Amino acid sequence: MNHPNRSIAFIIMAVVLAPFVVAGLWTLPPFGSYPGPYGDVINAIGTSARHITNMVTGVNYDFRGLDTLGEEFILFASVTGVVMLLRGARGEAKSAAALRIEHRRREGRSEAVAGAGRVLAPITLLYGIYVVLHAQTTPGGGFQGGVIVFAAILLAYLGEGYSAWRRMARSAVLDLVEAAGAAIYAVGGLVPMFFGARYLENILPLGQPKTITSGGLIAVVNLGVGLAVAAGFSSIALELLEETRTAGDDQA
Amino acid sequence: MMLVIGGLLVLLSVSGLGVVLTREPRRQVLAMAANGLVLSALFMALQAPDVAFSEIVIGSVALPLFFFVSLSSLRANRKRE
Repeated sequence: MNHPNRSIAFIIMAVVLAPFVVAGLWTLPPFGSYPGPYGDVINAIGTSARHITNMVTGVNYDFRGLDTLGEEFILFASVTGVVMLLRGARGEAKSAAALRIEHRRREGRSEAVAGAGRVLAPITLLYGIYVVLHAQTTPGGGFQGGVIVFAAILLAYLGEGYSAWRRMARSAVLDLVEAAGAAIYAVGGLVPMFFGARYLENILPLGQPKTITSGGLIAVVNLGVGLAVAAGFSSIALELLEETRTAGDDQA
Repeated sequence: MMLVIGGLLVLLSVSGLGVVLTREPRRQVLAMAANGLVLSALFMALQAPDVAFSEIVIGSVALPLFFFVSLSSLRANRKRE
């Protein structure tokens, strides 16, 4: 479609649709209005019922824990899909070590990048673990902390170079951790059923509020999500990075 | 507080416009990360720290990485042909 026609089509559609947009904007609820009762209920009962101080974690891993199980397996399925597509195309045997293709010019990292990666990776890792463990008490949780741990793993790649990084971040280990994380969530939900409770029902001791052991089952499934997210994102990054390896830059 | 939220909304539309107007893919990825950073500041101002946290880790760690790696992969494969 050429430009004048496109403009004419746009003007016609804009004139036709503008009244609907204006009518819609006119009936929007005022800024900050909150008609739903559930948030207020959760805020009121969260601390007494589950001994937690971060209600978002309470909703994600307890009150609506089954939804998060679904999300957990969406992530699991997408990681499996990406790994199968990319690793399958290269061949399983080649994926164990860093890919090496001859005749590619090596692009080394600057010392500043390597130094920054080496300094920041352990700090970021510690912070990620902190965020995962403090899901019940402060903002953040398994998902956010898991991605921060993944960021630390990436910083290790920047600090140490690709082949050293591949020796640290073994894809077999990542696959195992990812599966273990998903299993902790699914099986952690099953355990209450052996004691006559419902799936994912929080029957574990709830612990002292504002500590990392508070929340009972929340702490367990949250850890599962943290492990699965960190390992899952790392697996995707590893397989994608392997795609960019074209030749003998293993030392870079 | 309304002033902060208003300012962040303006900043958000400016950085969003920046993403659309940037034509070079690698710069566009950085513009997108900046947009995500402003968005997470807005979530923080709207008292949603968990959402802000998710936005900051996805918008400025995972998303740029996957885009950069994909762009680099495209470049590497084009050279090989």
